[in-house]
Amino acid sequence: MEVKGCRELFEEVINAGLCTYCGACASGCPYLVSYKGRIVLLDNCDISKGQCYQYCPRTHTDLDTISQQVFGADYSEDGLGTVKEVLIARSTDLHIRERAQYGGVVTTLMSLALEEGFIDSAILAKMSSDKIPSAFLARNKEGILQCAGSNYMACSTLDALNRIAKDSKDKLGIVAMPCQVLSISKMKEDPPLNRMNIGNVSLVIGLFCTWALCRDTFQRFLRENVDLMQVIKFDIPPPPANKFDVYSNSGKISLPLDTIREFIMPTCSYCLDMTAEFADISVGSVEGIEGWNTVLIRTDVGVGLMERAKAKKKLEIGQLPSQNLAHLKEAALLKKKRALKEITKKTGDKKKLLYLGMSESIVDRLLVERSKV
Amino acid sequence: MKKLSKEPLNMLIAGVGGQGNILLSFLIGKALVQQGYFVSVGDTYGASQRGGSVASHVRISEHTCYGSLIPSGHADVILSLEPAETLRMLCQFGNPDVVTITNTRPIYPSDVTSGHAIYPKIVELLKLIEKLSATVIVIEATDEAFKLGNPIFANVILIGALIGSGALPLDKRSLEPILKENFPKEFDANMAAFNKGMKLAGH
Amino acid sequence: MASIELDASGTTQLLLGNEAIARGALEAGIGFAASYPGTPASEIMDTLASIAKRMGIHAEWSVNEKVALEAAAGASFAGIRAIASMKQNGINVASDFLINLTMTGIGKGLILVVADDPGAISSSNEQDSRNICKWMDIPLLEPSNAQEAKDMTKWAFELSEELDTICIIRSVNRVGHTRGNVKLGELPKREQRAYFPNIWNMFEPKLSKFAAGPFPWLHNMLHQKLAKAQQRFESAPFNWYMGPDKAELLIITSGASTACCTEAVKELKLDHKVGIFKLGTTWPIPENLVRKQLSSSQRVLFVEEVDPFIERSVMELAANLPTDSTRLIFYGKRSGHIPSSGELHPDVIINIIAGLMGITYQARDITYEKKAKELSMIIPGRALNLCPGCPHRATFWAVKNALQLDGRDGFVCGDIGCYSLGFAAGGYYQLRTMHAMGSGIGVANGLGNLSKFGFEQPVIAMVGDSTFLHAAIPALINGVYNKSSFILLILDNNATAMTGFQPHPGTGMTATGVPTFHIDIEALCRSLGAHVEVCDPFDLKNTTTTLLRLMAEEGGAKVVIMRRECEMVRAKREKRFPYVVHVDPDICIGEACGCNRVCTRAFQCPGLIYDQEARKATIDEAVCTGCGLCVDICPHGAIIKKVVET
Repeated sequence: MEVKGCRELFEEVINAGLCTYCGACASGCPYLVSYKGRIVLLDNCDISKGQCYQYCPRTHTDLDTISQQVFGADYSEDGLGTVKEVLIARSTDLHIRERAQYGGVVTTLMSLALEEGFIDSAILAKMSSDKIPSAFLARNKEGILQCAGSNYMACSTLDALNRIAKDSKDKLGIVAMPCQVLSISKMKEDPPLNRMNIGNVSLVIGLFCTWALCRDTFQRFLRENVDLMQVIKFDIPPPPANKFDVYSNSGKISLPLDTIREFIMPTCSYCLDMTAEFADISVGSVEGIEGWNTVLIRTDVGVGLMERAKAKKKLEIGQLPSQNLAHLKEAALLKKKRALKEITKKTGDKKKLLYLGMSESIVDRLLVERSKV
Repeated sequence: MKKLSKEPLNMLIAGVGGQGNILLSFLIGKALVQQGYFVSVGDTYGASQRGGSVASHVRISEHTCYGSLIPSGHADVILSLEPAETLRMLCQFGNPDVVTITNTRPIYPSDVTSGHAIYPKIVELLKLIEKLSATVIVIEATDEAFKLGNPIFANVILIGALIGSGALPLDKRSLEPILKENFPKEFDANMAAFNKGMKLAGH
Repeated sequence: MASIELDASGTTQLLLGNEAIARGALEAGIGFAASYPGTPASEIMDTLASIAKRMGIHAEWSVNEKVALEAAAGASFAGIRAIASMKQNGINVASDFLINLTMTGIGKGLILVVADDPGAISSSNEQDSRNICKWMDIPLLEPSNAQEAKDMTKWAFELSEELDTICIIRSVNRVGHTRGNVKLGELPKREQRAYFPNIWNMFEPKLSKFAAGPFPWLHNMLHQKLAKAQQRFESAPFNWYMGPDKAELLIITSGASTACCTEAVKELKLDHKVGIFKLGTTWPIPENLVRKQLSSSQRVLFVEEVDPFIERSVMELAANLPTDSTRLIFYGKRSGHIPSSGELHPDVIINIIAGLMGITYQARDITYEKKAKELSMIIPGRALNLCPGCPHRATFWAVKNALQLDGRDGFVCGDIGCYSLGFAAGGYYQLRTMHAMGSGIGVANGLGNLSKFGFEQPVIAMVGDSTFLHAAIPALINGVYNKSSFILLILDNNATAMTGFQPHPGTGMTATGVPTFHIDIEALCRSLGAHVEVCDPFDLKNTTTTLLRLMAEEGGAKVVIMRRECEMVRAKREKRFPYVVHVDPDICIGEACGCNRVCTRAFQCPGLIYDQEARKATIDEAVCTGCGLCVDICPHGAIIKKVVET
């Protein structure tokens, strides 16, 4: 890929509505900051090949190259990507389950990794008391626990990558959205020379994601409808509910999901990845089974961690019902199809896929009108 | 009043805004008037000062006050507080007969500190200054001033060098009362700087 | 530096043109002087203020030039000779009072000195203030050097009293700021007594002389005064001719150009062919004298700055010459021989005269010339920058960041002062409008009232403490009264720095060093109904956050006072650095940091340099003033500050 500078980053990605607010560019550069849901350039930088451009998940990203780097194999056409094992799980720690969104698996695994010394600290999204998510560097279990719960908003978690000194030996764990996982994978493929040490990243737990809400506009909407300081949790119950639930001390408020959809970041419609296909472990909800997580184990690192979790009885494990699995695959595939449709609609040419590098044959198959599933 | 080697005798005092070329031109000008000459001193003030290129034009005559600006190519003496400015003034005001007395300490313009321009190496600058002058006296005035305790002494060191060079019809006696009047509290320190300058100019 | 040598009457001294004007005023026996700082006029009042106590006169820095002229006029009305001095823009500010003053006449001698700035070396615009004399019917004098500046000023007071009208002396940068030999006259020793004579006489009530009004005959009276002035000018000692009786080329010149013309003619060895007619009294022009001179040559060259002022007057005159007179050929700005804008450099004048006389002029050896031109290419230019340690740099950095973070295309309306440098790289190009003093907030007023047209950009206005008191208060009142939305940043460095640190009503000190009431700018703004906050620009984080918060809030007129003393004032008083700052060469990894040299390339404090050989940033200890601000700029923590042990 031709690596360009910050000016092109703004022209091709940020001002073109493709920015996912992952935070990678802000981490790599003192001129870029993530602020209130926007990436801001404070000053011109005349570096012609910038880290900001190089690791952005929305500049040219070749999925085969990434897949080779993570799995040693080309990009999988399977809806869920490359997977070693699929299961459901929930934390055995009631304290975690109380705070967690569903089964508390992310919190449990990250805390375990910390305990076992797989990692020395973790980067996650943490919500403030008035429900603004921002990147947080946790160094203990309590810190990780504070980050439990879904916020549904885009959070520039990766801009905390430079909070560990570049020459530090500390190992890092990250809880990341699919776009952020992509960025981390790009960094691992050609490690950054400045400001961040990607060699530190030892564990990536990816989150399932259909879309993310634009932080600034969604926040303003919420403030008009609820007292954010009282809110405990957000949740989107499975269809056909079509609701966005806000749980607070005084009860639950249900907002119509269609209203919330207005705050979806436009860039999400160009995203193919529902299950964080390049993480070590990907975690999401289980439709119809409350209080459990769907867990996709993808890499050896993921396998190792899961083994420890089972051995130390940190997680209760179960089988994902085949119906759920089929449903999950369908949903993931649908996201890919929709995304490709939007991308090719925008470019007018199925050979021009905006930021994506993908095998033509896979593209063709996904663009077929009716799904043959 | 000594006869001038040229009528009028033109001296440029070059430097960067804030270095003190106005004080220099004033002290030298006053000394000259006291010796009976007609003097015109033209300075740049105000917005052009801070960090900008500045020059004092000193025009000495036995008969009349000349216009404040020296026509291009007509400088007889160039006294400079900053080496890039020395070259700049030579390019505009120099000629094959000019006597140049220059400090060596660079002051980097923001174009250079920000990386947009290159400041030539001092050795190279001095070579070019020599190419454009009949005589060059190089004085490490700022370094010497630091040795004396304060970089601001560089100016008086250069006055000493100027007097020591004999380029102007002035001697130590003509400058002493001026320095005494202007630096009543630190007269001794300034005389030490002045003497150092004279010595460095080979006097 | 120099004083005007009060004890040296009769001797010859080296004085600035401005000092010479001050001296001339003293020799004329003035008792009152008022001014506002402005280059190239400031030294006139600097000088008068420094000797005011000793000479028993009143000298003040007025809050603006209109008040300065009004105050001086007041003194004149009460029988005290008075002088008001200002730069070119000042006469624009004083103009309304000035024209009314021409209607009423004066008491004792009243002189206005206006200092133009050809080439706009230290100004936002270039103007020829002589035109105001033609417009307002005011006698005009132009000195050409320091000696003449002194002599003319003294003479002007007599003229002013004889004519019963204000007279103007128009100086320029090259006259005011050039030092020259001045033979000093005597300083009068006399007691002055002030009394305003035009009080109400109940037995014979009359209109006061000093009331301008709808009385058209006043204008007629003024014209009569001008006619009288012209007569006096016919024999004034400031007009002279030098050259052959019949000249191949007649140069008519005035002001700073005079010496350039004399030198040019000498340099070209044309003394026997070219005549120079120098005018010192240039409005009204001495018509008889001019007519006589025009008969000595057929070709006339006008050399003056800035407008073709004398040129046009003489051409008007020539239009009325008898029809059988020899046809004159005029060269000047109208013919394109003399540049119509900018300062007249001696090179330009020499070359034009040479050209008109068919001579080739070579300034210096051709090979040298060629070499010099070549070498001049390698010398880096010197862009203007704020001083090391200047709080404005911090303000601009915080403003730049806040505007970027806000992201709604906000901008700054700028004003006149050291912070004017904000329109260039040294202030990160943040100033997007800049006109006259006080205009920043004025323009912001309009921009802040455009919401009905879908305007959403945050508007920031910037003004210094001195300029605020000088010209911005009415606009702030307007903003509150007319419900405009803007944030006014008052850069309070407790100084009028650009013009030389003259005191102002916020500093608590008069021009003569007398302690006085000092205006509390914060309280003043509050009393006008604005929302007011105070920030320390060196606290970058707090300043940026404050600006962001205020921009995000609902509209209205908001004031943030950016309070931190000017570094030059602090350094002079404290005589030491707050910190010793250095770059740790082990932590600074130069280009490898990927920061693209934030400290030297983006921040641009002259105390920080990039060592090309070591390939690291470093502090230039001959330039750094130890403010320590850069410590917060380095994203790698490579810049360290240590408190200086006392």
